[in-house]
Amino acid sequence: MCGISGIVSGENVAAKLLSSIQNLEYRGYDSCGMAVLNARGPVVRKNVGHVADVAEKELFLSLEGVTGIAHTRWATHGGVTPANAHPHLSCDKTLAIVHNGIISNYARLKAALIKRRHKFASETDSEVIAHLVEENRKKGAPLERAFTSALKDLEGSFAVAMVSIEAPHRIYCGKHESPLILGLGKNEFYVGSDFNAFIEHTKDAVVMDDGEYAVVSDHGYEVKRIRDGKPVRKTIMRIDWDSEASRKGGFPHYMLKEIYEQPETVRKALSVSEDSIVGLAKGLTGAKRAYLTGVGTTYYAAKVGQYYFASEADLGVPAASSDEFLENSPLAKDDFVLAVSQSGETYDTLRLVREAKKRGAKTAAVVNVVGSTLSRLVDQVVLQGSGPEICVISTKAALAQMIILMRVAIEAGRMNGRLTPAEKRRKTAQLEALPALISGFLNEYSGLFHTIAQKHASRHNWLFMGRGRFYPVALETALKVKEVAYLHAEGMPAGFLKHGALALIDDTLMSAMFVPGESEKELHRMTMGSVAEINARGGRVIGFHFSKSLRGSKLFEDQVLLPSAPPLTSPLVALLAGQLLSYFLATVLGRDVDKPRSLAKSVTVA
Amino acid sequence: MKALVLAAGGGMNMAPFFPTRPKSMIHVAGRPVLHRTLQMLRESGFGEVCVVVGPNGRLITEFFGAGRSVDMKISYATQGKRGGIGRAVLAAKSRFKAGENFLLAYSDVVAEENLVSSVMEAFRLSDKPAASICLTDDPAGFGNVYLDDAMNITRIIEKPGRGGKGNYVLAGMFVLPYSFFGTLEKNGGDMAKALAALVRAEGLKGAIWEKGWVDLVHPWEVLLANRMVMGTWHDAVVHESIKLRDAKIKGPVHIEENVEIRSGAVIEGPAFIGRGSYIGNNALIRKNSSIGAGSVVGFGAEIKNSVIFGRTKIGRLSFIGDSVIGENVEIGSGTMTTNYDVNGADIKVRLDKALLGTGMKKLGAFAGDGAHLGNGHNIAPGAVIPPGCVVGHNITHPKRGV
Repeated sequence: MCGISGIVSGENVAAKLLSSIQNLEYRGYDSCGMAVLNARGPVVRKNVGHVADVAEKELFLSLEGVTGIAHTRWATHGGVTPANAHPHLSCDKTLAIVHNGIISNYARLKAALIKRRHKFASETDSEVIAHLVEENRKKGAPLERAFTSALKDLEGSFAVAMVSIEAPHRIYCGKHESPLILGLGKNEFYVGSDFNAFIEHTKDAVVMDDGEYAVVSDHGYEVKRIRDGKPVRKTIMRIDWDSEASRKGGFPHYMLKEIYEQPETVRKALSVSEDSIVGLAKGLTGAKRAYLTGVGTTYYAAKVGQYYFASEADLGVPAASSDEFLENSPLAKDDFVLAVSQSGETYDTLRLVREAKKRGAKTAAVVNVVGSTLSRLVDQVVLQGSGPEICVISTKAALAQMIILMRVAIEAGRMNGRLTPAEKRRKTAQLEALPALISGFLNEYSGLFHTIAQKHASRHNWLFMGRGRFYPVALETALKVKEVAYLHAEGMPAGFLKHGALALIDDTLMSAMFVPGESEKELHRMTMGSVAEINARGGRVIGFHFSKSLRGSKLFEDQVLLPSAPPLTSPLVALLAGQLLSYFLATVLGRDVDKPRSLAKSVTVA
Repeated sequence: MKALVLAAGGGMNMAPFFPTRPKSMIHVAGRPVLHRTLQMLRESGFGEVCVVVGPNGRLITEFFGAGRSVDMKISYATQGKRGGIGRAVLAAKSRFKAGENFLLAYSDVVAEENLVSSVMEAFRLSDKPAASICLTDDPAGFGNVYLDDAMNITRIIEKPGRGGKGNYVLAGMFVLPYSFFGTLEKNGGDMAKALAALVRAEGLKGAIWEKGWVDLVHPWEVLLANRMVMGTWHDAVVHESIKLRDAKIKGPVHIEENVEIRSGAVIEGPAFIGRGSYIGNNALIRKNSSIGAGSVVGFGAEIKNSVIFGRTKIGRLSFIGDSVIGENVEIGSGTMTTNYDVNGADIKVRLDKALLGTGMKKLGAFAGDGAHLGNGHNIAPGAVIPPGCVVGHNITHPKRGV
């Protein structure tokens, strides 16, 4: 996963390019670089580190020129070194490229180029592109054709942008299976991996499709087919994200900002049109076999969905992690796959959906990013409209996905008669009460989780448990604690304790239990039974529960009495509790909250 | 922009350091907390400040004067007899110009790093009045705020008491418009009401503070603040005049000029020793100890996690642990502070007739300015020794003959 950016303008582009890759930094942040064209050719500055640090060290802002490209990297091929950072130059240093994706046949291409005496400066797959174009030029092809024939030689995925001294006011770019978007300004045009690359400057954009390339200049752009150079007519999209929304707005971290945006993202998820919800419900109920899928947090969102399909619609809709799906689930014609993805660029999920289509299955997706690959690949798409999620750790997008899956489950229940219209209305009203509930919760409870985090941040091992719909919440909380606080955490159904985990319990392992409300009598009783089991083995438990009667209970070392919510939405309140706990564990431990080590926002590689 | 610093505050909860000094002159990590506040302001580019002082303001004006030591221009305003934060703010009104914004700082708040720069950033980003906010274990005694998704404060609940849950609280640092003085006047000098009016009229942006923060309300919080500040020290800073002979220092130890350290003494950082102090042979100064200027620590004495304001004598073979000792105090030889309960109970402290829990299992004593304890005492955990209190030696008189 990397972010690419390019600007052609009538004025200096260095400052805008810098802010562009800063906005793209969440896509990858181990190294970055920039190439700006001057009279002698592209001047390249690059190094390893966060964008702000590299920019300062390499004096990005001292570059002068009206055409430039930039890149922020998350390493796949080749280590994190200054040489492996993009842009990459051709041997004669007349052209520079940036690339996002993976070129699977690069070893073969590279060997052939080395035979032709090309000298490689890096270990990356990307560098072959620069040399391929150069080679084509040597053979006499004009620049544009030299570029497209290079792209034709590539196997794998790519979004590429190139500048050359031969065309000082142009950027050449093309894509296959990696995202690429053009931004249309006034006498200034932009190329980027997504909207964030240029959202500060324009809201008009053109989404490129696979197999297309574009020539962008300071007075316009042309999109053509890589295959035969035929022009393609593209529609101009207007992005309605506010550029302010892409920034932190004074919050100390994007993660906290996005946690606080959840009342609004829930409202947005509730305002997704009834037609789309009905469409998904029909797809699910009408299929021979229906599945939910996602990977990482979105898999847990799908898992939450599975429980609601069972409870609200009496439907068995298994959730399978998209990376394992093809190994553990039969998939054929007339099956239905509903995929969940924030970015819509997740490699594992895209691979699965492509395979599902190949086998004749129907596909649908709940996606946040407009114009993303997944959103254009599936038969039905529901855009969750959560706005940009910048923190690598998903919070608001995941909650919105769960809300949409709950709405689909309720609709499916109404369709198959499991729920009466009155019951559907009552449940919908409970969902509609959620934004106010969340808003009050965030304001009045944050400090309680902060206190618990301060007290227990030194514990290295955590077990998060719940039963029923609180089990996927426990899974998701454990994942959050792992990814943002770097603490060892496992999510488990509380019922598993007896079947193994009890052997692990001692006073160094911290258990956290999500306890359902007392109205879910049996589940509540059984969960409290599990709490007693841990206590009996000298274990320590933090309780997140809804019962006034448990206040002061000696079974919990620490506890938070959550605000009361109906059984339908109480797991979501528990989910927020998990978000706040993991956030404060991370801040107390001084973690890099928005960009945890070794993680990228959307995982576009295998 | 000019700053307004409130330094008049104090109260019986801060016994035994009240009423001899305002809270702003309580020492933390070798300096009065007001000194830290002024330094933060200077670091954030403030050159002019008005400090509001109260009844014992002379302590402040004599210490800081016109501000040369902190490289600022300091003027002083005196709060009248009527107490309260709002009244203190109004006392400085004439020092500010209409149409200007000003920074308001409470000086009994100790932050781990520069709290001023955090609230200034929020102000610059939003171009709106701003207030530092933070989370605390016990929000009951503070202004509790509600935030929207753009970090605007939508509501403030002043000291909710038991109704308090886990809200962010006002952290004692604000950027306010000049018109706020008028708002205060309209609301009878009531700070809570005036802030509520500001929230309704112009809005107030929250600036979330996630680093350490201690509000000095009770004397044991001095130890928390001291440990927090010393925790940020990474380097040893030893004045060139210091001869260590065969004393040992370890870790981030700050030693000012003309401190005499005798052989065999051991100082474990983080620790602070103020100028002109004397550390006797074989004395042991343990982590998080702050010994103010002109103090004497006698032969073989042990100081641990304690704050000593200055010009204080700790007699030979004494132990001062988890304690706060004022200025001009004398502790006799062989006097111990007992700093734990044998049953492991939290230590309680009697303040202004109430017995308060501290949540601390290790806590020694609090000795007010000018107290004098003779030799051979064993002071109970959590004891409060009033300022100027004199207790004779604890000695036996063996009977003559048999």
